[in-house]
Amino acid sequence: MRNRRPVIAAVLTAATMVSAAALAVVALHGRGAPAAGDSAPGGTRMAHLSADAAALAPPAKPAFTVATPRPLRLSSRVSMWAPVILPTVARARPRAHAHIVARISTRTPEGTTNILLALGVRRDAMHRLWVHVRLPILPTNTTGWVRRTALGGYRFVRTRLVVDLHALEATLYQGRKALFHAPVGVGAIGTATPVGRFYIRDRLTRYASPFYGPIAFGTSARSPVLTDWPAGGYIGIHGTNEPKLIPGRISHGCIRLRNADIRRLATLMPIGTPVAIESGR
Amino acid sequence: MNERPSILDGLDPEGRVRESLLETLGIGRTELLLAALAGAATWTAGHASHAAGAGLTENDTRILRFDLQLEYLQATMYTQALRLGHLRPAVRDAARVVGAHEWAHAHALKTILGRRAVPPGFFDYHGVTEDERAFLRTAVAFEDLTAALLKYQAIRLDSRAVLAAAISLHSVEARHAAWLRRIAGVLPTLTAFDRPASQAKMRDLILSTHFVAEDPTTGARRAPGFTG
Repeated sequence: MRNRRPVIAAVLTAATMVSAAALAVVALHGRGAPAAGDSAPGGTRMAHLSADAAALAPPAKPAFTVATPRPLRLSSRVSMWAPVILPTVARARPRAHAHIVARISTRTPEGTTNILLALGVRRDAMHRLWVHVRLPILPTNTTGWVRRTALGGYRFVRTRLVVDLHALEATLYQGRKALFHAPVGVGAIGTATPVGRFYIRDRLTRYASPFYGPIAFGTSARSPVLTDWPAGGYIGIHGTNEPKLIPGRISHGCIRLRNADIRRLATLMPIGTPVAIESGR
Repeated sequence: MNERPSILDGLDPEGRVRESLLETLGIGRTELLLAALAGAATWTAGHASHAAGAGLTENDTRILRFDLQLEYLQATMYTQALRLGHLRPAVRDAARVVGAHEWAHAHALKTILGRRAVPPGFFDYHGVTEDERAFLRTAVAFEDLTAALLKYQAIRLDSRAVLAAAISLHSVEARHAAWLRRIAGVLPTLTAFDRPASQAKMRDLILSTHFVAEDPTTGARRAPGFTG
């Protein structure tokens, strides 16, 4: 390597000198000798070009402009969900023969599209894609792996709902910012609201049942006590016809809000929002 | 039934692709007619209410609506790939910039279309966004085709003002294509003259990918069965 350096330097010097000489020749030729057939002096030619430029039609003002955007930044406080498009099974590990944790249908008991909160993705040894999901089953906080092909496209949400069973309050966050805060009614002794991590599955409206108020959100949470409840014992977040009981420990496990509060929450909380129900102690 | 015009309405306004799809799926003509009537009512209502708007001609509106759908499709793909694709630094850097550009384009188009803008829609990339190679191939194809599409549309625009804006997008899309091609190990340019790609061809291509999915039904009008 050391012996090559003088050679490389000599070659570079020679190349630089040749280039400089060539540029000098081109410059002299361009200044003193017009090309064959070109009788116009350089100054006149430029005048023509200037006149052409000035005679152009006036420019149209663009109908819209695009501001220079900043490169996309990915917040870690974003959650992802996907609809179940094929009946499938959730397995304990991302492997074809792993233990089956749950059977997953494409519909919820409410007749809406079943959705799963996605926690991550991984490929198996056969290069098949698996999605780690939170499952709407008992025991609470169960997760599993489903094949990507059983799920539809992902959706992202920036919100998360925190329910504090001790303070009897619900708070909706976007990032660290609290968007909504309200008192709640929660499960009474014997039918306590389950503590854990869940998500919003669907939203029911325009039904004729004052007991549930004007709007009811379905969650992935299930009562560990009322397992033989007709629709599976799922926990909802809904309004009420007894607002005076809020806040309090009054329900069969559902989270009740005053009707004005559930209406406001419905404008802020999209489907797929993760729900953390905390004991608060 | 969705209460707003579906993204498919813009891509397939005459419903030819949808009809052949439904026939393939074995859905009868009665169901198709009922669905079409319901869908057409919503779609027509949407269009009628937007007939007088920002001074765009119907022709320019059709072109810009299509472009907005395409921008949403691409922007969402970049966002998802960044979240899921485990991208190499070079790919990630490009996706962050190009994705931001596509969102900015979508925002600008949405603004000029006003109430005539189509909603973002629901996309299923069928694993493309979780796989860097598949993502890169798809991104190159979309950027190439978008540049070709804008070339096709530019000479069909009524408004010089819209044309002035559209060509400012066109060169950016071409740069995106060259950048991603270079990362993918493909020559940034092959020909001295590019050919345009028609809107119909682009629509067929998008539909063939099945990236455009129907919104899941996450709402219902029925009494809850929750524990209460």
